[in-house]
Amino acid sequence: MSEHDDVELKARFGALRKEAAAGAPSFQAMLAAAQSPRPAGQRHRRLRLAAAIAVMTALAVLVARRGRPDGRVAIDLASVRWRAPTDFLLQLPGDELLRSMPRLGRPTLDGRTL
Amino acid sequence: MAPADLAPELERLHPAAFGWALCCCGWDQTAAEDVLQASYLKLLDGRARFDGRSSLRTFVFGVIARTAREARRRTALRRWLPLAALVRGSEVADGRPDPAAALARDDEAARLLRALGRLPARQRQVLHLVFYEDLTIAEAAAVASISVGTARTHYERGKAALKKLLEGEK
Repeated sequence: MSEHDDVELKARFGALRKEAAAGAPSFQAMLAAAQSPRPAGQRHRRLRLAAAIAVMTALAVLVARRGRPDGRVAIDLASVRWRAPTDFLLQLPGDELLRSMPRLGRPTLDGRTL
Repeated sequence: MAPADLAPELERLHPAAFGWALCCCGWDQTAAEDVLQASYLKLLDGRARFDGRSSLRTFVFGVIARTAREARRRTALRRWLPLAALVRGSEVADGRPDPAAALARDDEAARLLRALGRLPARQRQVLHLVFYEDLTIAEAAAVASISVGTARTHYERGKAALKKLLEGEK
């Protein structure tokens, strides 16, 4: 880039500056607008935004907590009934005698009575 | 500096500050006015306090740049959040001159704006600060919150790219 280019760029930006300055609002008007109380709509906009974010966050937390299992599984032991496929091996002939109290007057396996 | 003393200084800087706000808002006049108004408010109510570490002009330009960035961030956030129906504010352009508006005009200024719009943001800002606002590269670096070396690189690359783009437009 030569010095001539710099001068040319300066002239171009100078023209742009003149154009922008012509359309610039007055400082006093801008200051008055800046210092005037904000319109109610603008004031409430922030409140609405904050409320909306709070509601959305609460909903997100609720959904996240519902969807996630808490690591514990509830088991109703009363209704659980499971039999192993090899359970029949434990069934011995006459094992009902082993699960009940022997009673006098009843025949045993070998046909004798107590 | 007390806010009461600041007002006359701001009035003196107003035309230059408006030009800088335009650059930060992609030459969107409405957005630039909003950003400048918010910046003046920050300066006058003490949220942005001038401590004399730089020139007042550099400080004010820095406040305007930050305010424009915040406004752009808010606009981007509104685009992502499904809250557009709840909050409808003025949209701030991304700092790029509006090509549609520039195309509608066909003078030298429009050609310059179109060419600037094709430069990266940093290059565009540094060139604006140096050529439009007559700041030194060091002052431009302070306004853009970058190192002087980086600002110099953006200045040189931006100038070369802008020259090429302007020649291509002829």
